[in-house]
Amino acid sequence: MSWYNKRLAKSIWVFHMSASPCNNCDIEILDLLTPKYDVERFGIKLVGSVRHADVILLSGVINQKVAPQVKKIYEQAAKPCFVVGVGTCPASGCCFNASYNIVPKREDVIPIDLYIPGCPPKPEAMIEGVVKLMGVLNA
Amino acid sequence: MDKNIIPVGPYHPLLEEAEYFTLQVDGETVVDIDLEIGWMHRGHEFISESKTFTQSIYLVERICGICSTSHPIACVHAIEDVNKTEIPLRARYIRTFIGELERIHSHLLWLGLAGHFIGYDTLWMWAWKYREPVLQMFEIISGNRNHYGMMRVGGVAKDVDPEKVKSLLDIMDEIEKKIQMIAKAATDDPVLKSRLKGVGVLTKKDAIDFCAVGPTARASGVPIDVRKDEPTDAYDLVDFKIIVTENGDVFDKTVVRLLETFESIKICKQCLEKLRTVNGGIINNVKEISPGEGIGRYEAPRGEVFHYVRTDGTNRPVRHKVRAPSFVNIPTFKASCKGIPVADALITLAAVDPCYCCTERSLKIRNKNNEPYQLDLMKLSREKTEELRRQMK
Amino acid sequence: MHNYNEFISLMGNKIISKIEKPKRLYFEVENKNINEVAEYLFNKLGCRLSTATGTETYRGIEVLYHFSHDKTGEYYCLRVVMPDKKNPKMNSITPVVRGAEWIEREMAEMLGITFEGHPRPEPLLTGNHPQNIKVPLRKWRSNG
Repeated sequence: MSWYNKRLAKSIWVFHMSASPCNNCDIEILDLLTPKYDVERFGIKLVGSVRHADVILLSGVINQKVAPQVKKIYEQAAKPCFVVGVGTCPASGCCFNASYNIVPKREDVIPIDLYIPGCPPKPEAMIEGVVKLMGVLNA
Repeated sequence: MDKNIIPVGPYHPLLEEAEYFTLQVDGETVVDIDLEIGWMHRGHEFISESKTFTQSIYLVERICGICSTSHPIACVHAIEDVNKTEIPLRARYIRTFIGELERIHSHLLWLGLAGHFIGYDTLWMWAWKYREPVLQMFEIISGNRNHYGMMRVGGVAKDVDPEKVKSLLDIMDEIEKKIQMIAKAATDDPVLKSRLKGVGVLTKKDAIDFCAVGPTARASGVPIDVRKDEPTDAYDLVDFKIIVTENGDVFDKTVVRLLETFESIKICKQCLEKLRTVNGGIINNVKEISPGEGIGRYEAPRGEVFHYVRTDGTNRPVRHKVRAPSFVNIPTFKASCKGIPVADALITLAAVDPCYCCTERSLKIRNKNNEPYQLDLMKLSREKTEELRRQMK
Repeated sequence: MHNYNEFISLMGNKIISKIEKPKRLYFEVENKNINEVAEYLFNKLGCRLSTATGTETYRGIEVLYHFSHDKTGEYYCLRVVMPDKKNPKMNSITPVVRGAEWIEREMAEMLGITFEGHPRPEPLLTGNHPQNIKVPLRKWRSNG
């Protein structure tokens, strides 16, 4: 599959999935498309349907009501599909660990391949994360 | 049987296949609307019972990323209201300055997204491009573009260096010129005017009945604004006016937000001038909070944010209640969405500037016989704009 | 402060107890008088309902309605205490103040209160929940 991964790294299509976030990471992801950071010059594009996506950007601490939907969407994505957890929420739950409504372990719902910590991560950090992913795919 | 979702997209931090609003349509017209929420519910009120007062400020910041300063300011107002704590003059100017900067960035964000929904992607790119200097100013003052952590009980956490004031004033002048250009371009365009005028009207009586707040209420002729009704911090020391219009449609909401941005720039400049000359500390160290109750509020970009705190003498709150403005503004859909064509549904829903982490949403579309079917609201909205452009040529 | 004196003398013995502070009045009334007081505050004085808070205390389940008088920046906070913790019931003010519909639904699901006369008593945030969570803000609910 490595020849396929190399093709993938040329132009990654990204699907943005937010599962109970505070919206900050989502706005910073959108900021990547605006003229200052402009990731479209790398070929990265935001798509509307998960079936067209190569990478799923997950943000937020998954709450119990939304967890079945997250699982369903991941199953619908055409494999290979990589999941990138943006922000501190998918990595560790941020400050919401004491809540009654969140899942105890996010990796049980959806397997995460790359974490980009930060609250919110700076756009430069997100670009660096994507570059690392492209490095892994190219190898 | 599939329940179908529609506007997804970057603005909606929710995913597909969830349930959104239920729009009942009759041919081309929306007859009724209903909501199901709960996908963002993280249980803040439950968690805050186990945190100290200073930890609550960080917790409350993360309710919403866009109104990231409004919640901490209202929270510290509530805690200071228990004992009527005084804060130093310099801290009052810094709080007002940060709050108004946030209003500028939030209104520009909304403008960009409104443009995106109608199909004016250029407006989206320009509005967000000139939002970047505002975020740069936040980074100069506090170290982070969002979630600044600047508020403390009794004052603020970081000071504004007097040497940096000159460079901040220069950035403000530059942004003001650019926003004037964008505002003129947006309000002079005939296609935009015909898309937004007369759409999604919320009458004054409905705005009062639903207890709406913020630009949603001010665009319908209800003159409420926490900055004038109960001035705290430096709002009684600076000069500004509140913007109220009469019609209650989406165009009026846009005009209210644009004019408020200019008023905010005026307030920020006055605060920066004062910060050059006013001396003093930035925090009054509070040793303990006596048992009692406190109410704190603040005018966020979307309306009034309300916090209520009950204390018992220890360093943790007994009860901390948070009410974000979208909670009272979103139910007004029931009144403003009746009788509008489906292609206008998306921009009407977005005009209230719902902060979806403060509330939730999902969309089901059903026809007269209550059967669900599929509609792409974003596509319909953009197609209507194209059609209007063709007619105007 | 003179505004509160007028209000307090008008309400007379409907007010069971009160705490008065600058720009804040917290007063307790009985369940049977809520609708009348809310009607006076909303329609005659022109107050706006900011929100409502529900708490579990030693005395019982307490609901506090926060009415804001925007012209003067003052708050009238109307408190109702239900001593029966197993089955707390009170009158709903939604028929008087339409803006109270959502907040009463939220208090009903978080604390288990029944609001009599509410047009749509369904859960707001935890409806269709896969884990079927009930009354998370009550202390007797065990967390594990």
